[in-house]
Amino acid sequence: MLSIFDLLMDYVQTGRLELDPRLHPETTTFHDSCHYGRKSLQAFGHGYFEEGRWLVRQCCPNYVEMYPNREGNYCCGGGGGLWSVPFHEERVFHGRFKARQIRNCGARRVVTACHNCRDQMEKSLRKEYDLDVEVVYLWELLARSLAAPGRRSSGGSR
Amino acid sequence: MIVVQIGRLAQQLGVHRNTIRNWIRSGKLPARGVPGKRYLISEEDFHKLCHAFGLDPESIAVRRIPMKADQESPPQEPSVPLTQLKPRTNLLRASPQWADVCLTCGSCASACPISAVDGLDPRKVVRMAVLGLENQLLESDWVWKCTLCGKCEEACPMNVEIVSLIRAVRGKQPRDRVPVSLQRGLQTCLETGNNLGIPQEDFVGVCLDLADELVEEGWNGFRVPLDVKGARVLVTVNSKEPFADPDDMKFLWKVLHAAGESWTLTTEHWEGLNWAYFTGDDQTMRALVARLVDQMARLECRTLLLPL
Repeated sequence: MLSIFDLLMDYVQTGRLELDPRLHPETTTFHDSCHYGRKSLQAFGHGYFEEGRWLVRQCCPNYVEMYPNREGNYCCGGGGGLWSVPFHEERVFHGRFKARQIRNCGARRVVTACHNCRDQMEKSLRKEYDLDVEVVYLWELLARSLAAPGRRSSGGSR
Repeated sequence: MIVVQIGRLAQQLGVHRNTIRNWIRSGKLPARGVPGKRYLISEEDFHKLCHAFGLDPESIAVRRIPMKADQESPPQEPSVPLTQLKPRTNLLRASPQWADVCLTCGSCASACPISAVDGLDPRKVVRMAVLGLENQLLESDWVWKCTLCGKCEEACPMNVEIVSLIRAVRGKQPRDRVPVSLQRGLQTCLETGNNLGIPQEDFVGVCLDLADELVEEGWNGFRVPLDVKGARVLVTVNSKEPFADPDDMKFLWKVLHAAGESWTLTTEHWEGLNWAYFTGDDQTMRALVARLVDQMARLECRTLLLPL
């Protein structure tokens, strides 16, 4: 079994994906998803903290951190099924810490690898807390940073 | 009660400090040590002491603190009704890590972004599990408002498995207490293969349309691999994408194509979500995972990309 981080790291490190770091000069930050981070660390002994940051930096040289981050990161507020249940007010209330982190770090783009996190930040927190950012999937950022979009790699080292 | 300091009392009585210490140690002067190197002496014992030294108790400056025993008023009923604690059970605590080792320090409650919502917080949940108040937990909505984010566990100095406990409460609640949308999605997934009940022909249709669009956008030769036997990676799909945001599926497809990956989607049981994780239903969670494993066997794929 592979996580999306394992797969993307492999592609970029072995040269199967060529990325152009000039396409996204805007300040960008990475949101640690609770389950890829803390939960994975506890359950499998490895938290996916550094992979996402490294990949984002390959696309966005102007990278900033939110604080706290990694093991101490704040949940977006939409996890655990909360995005899909009718406790709307509690979900937005929970997200206040994440919204403050995003605003304080000054980024114009937040990258994350989780559908729940992306939807909570892009479709809810941005509006509820008036945040001037775009929230993108990690693989979306890579797809938008391809040096030669449309071209198929010869396969690299596999 | 009267608060005394040994040095000061010794001065007032004209004896050595150690004399007072000896009286206390031998029990001649009943006194109770309190923080700040001070002692509490009852009014009566203080009067006796003063009379023995021929002093007027009123003339000696001391600090008095009112105590229940000093007051004449009858005992009052507590304003908040006391909670009846129940005997301990193992319902929510299969492992002692779930609660017994808790020091009650409250670090978890400080870390939790929804502390105080519904008057609950992680510390209270743990204490309720320890003190036999399972039934109150099983009637609580709070466990569904928690996002299982684990900030509480990160803060806990004793590694109490608070998230597991909260998920166990979710799992033990009657299924009609599970938020309807989650339970319905799970049921739909069991019946149709995905949370949103997208029929197989619709899923295939969406995939083929998106592939056509990619070719039009300049991704020459792009074909969406459906049920390709022997592909290296089986890719799961989050059902909200074909349902609501189909264009979002193209991002990952572009990456996989650009990397020259050998990959495939399955047209059966392609759901990458497993909401049984959220509802605390281990049996269903296992059944849904087994479906993905079956698809890997059917398509002879070596690797599963999950979650997505």
